[in-house]
Amino acid sequence: MRTAQWTWLPAACLPVAAISIPAYAATYLTVEQAQQAIFPGEKLAPANITLTNEQAREIARRSDANVRHKDIKLWKVANGGFFVVDEVVGKHEFITYAVGLNADGTVKQIEILTYRESYGYEVRNADWRAQFVGKNAAAPLKLNTDIKNISGATLSCRHIADGVKRVLATYEVAFK
Amino acid sequence: MKSLSNEIRRARPLLGTLVEVGALGENAAPAIEAAFREIEIIHRLMSFHEIDSDIARLNRAPLLTAQQVDARTYEVLSWAQKISALSDGAFDITVGGKLVAAGFLPKPEDAEWPSEEANFRDLSLLSDNRVLLRRRAWVDLGGIAKGYAVDRAAATLKRNGVDSGIVNAGGDLYAFGAPQPIHIRHPEDASQLFSLGTLTDAAVASSSGCFTERREDGSSADPLVEPRRNTTVRWQQSVTVVAPRCLIADALTKVVRLAPRRAPKILPQFGAQAIIIDGRGVRCIAQSARRRSLGNPPRFRPAQMQEII
Repeated sequence: MRTAQWTWLPAACLPVAAISIPAYAATYLTVEQAQQAIFPGEKLAPANITLTNEQAREIARRSDANVRHKDIKLWKVANGGFFVVDEVVGKHEFITYAVGLNADGTVKQIEILTYRESYGYEVRNADWRAQFVGKNAAAPLKLNTDIKNISGATLSCRHIADGVKRVLATYEVAFK
Repeated sequence: MKSLSNEIRRARPLLGTLVEVGALGENAAPAIEAAFREIEIIHRLMSFHEIDSDIARLNRAPLLTAQQVDARTYEVLSWAQKISALSDGAFDITVGGKLVAAGFLPKPEDAEWPSEEANFRDLSLLSDNRVLLRRRAWVDLGGIAKGYAVDRAAATLKRNGVDSGIVNAGGDLYAFGAPQPIHIRHPEDASQLFSLGTLTDAAVASSSGCFTERREDGSSADPLVEPRRNTTVRWQQSVTVVAPRCLIADALTKVVRLAPRRAPKILPQFGAQAIIIDGRGVRCIAQSARRRSLGNPPRFRPAQMQEII
């Protein structure tokens, strides 16, 4: 009877060659699709706002998070709720997401719109990020579309959690 | 082979990571919604932090007093105990106290500090989804519940008429139906990927150093407790387990890391295989001829690894 054992493979005959992907991206929803996913059948009206310096300071104080953008992409929902499109930037990742708020300001649902990760300088480069906002799968970046399912990526959602905290503080300070 | 081109994928922040659910077919959108709801329920039931979760209640309940838990929590606790027994304690869910002490988990309020000697044998499973603790221990399902949530989400997709789908919770994933290409990250360079081949009706879980904090000596610490030495582990390798269920894959990554010598005997009992990537290269565990599988062996078609498994 054969028993299981570990087999070492010398580096020279590595059976699985590493592929280098300087950038990886996934697109889940457009803004319109996210609106329908979070508030199905509801009417949403654009209600963008620009925060004053004072409001931005107050939001930063309440949420303990940096307010990078004073222009807030906000929609009001006919049922009294709110829909916000926001983005968070990590060391390697750039994520756009939508938050649906109930009329009482509690979180109804969060949906990721796009997820981008890069191991170059791109994530912090505004031009690189700009090409993804509101785009769908036809983003003009050369990406390996065969790469869909990655294991070993213990991604933290801490940035999104911080972002949602900031959105909730923005609701308190500027939407109500 | 079915095309994956008209697949729908959604992602939400859950279980402390990004959870992606993909499905093919007419009913894909509502099925995905149902799958996310199931994951939210698992999260609420098994969270260490949330004060009214089954686990938080158990951790502050009086000793030797039976606690009623949800059937799903009971199922995870049962699997955890089975894996603990088979690995002789290399896998142990009663390490919550050490994780809190090391700063990986917040200290639960109103809970008495656990005993230093507490281990999985102090947790008893009774009938009718009741459990009790014989010694003060803090149970943490962080090493197994994510895999279970993936399994339940995949089962929810199937129940809702999806015959081809995938659930990926930050790298712990299960795919069914059309074969899915899977890649593993290099433990030391996240931009490098290895192709694992395609996967059908099987789960993959990885435990790796990507995204954890680097220390000056190049090692990294992460929230994995070595029960015998009572410390959190420092390591520089990536362990990937392919198994019939994601719960098993998730838990066995810890067994491979903490009991590498015994792992080749333990893995085949669960129909599982392991791949280790580190500075020395890639290692695989050979499939045992005397497999006493607790599930159907995974339909795993390695890309270029046939000769080594």
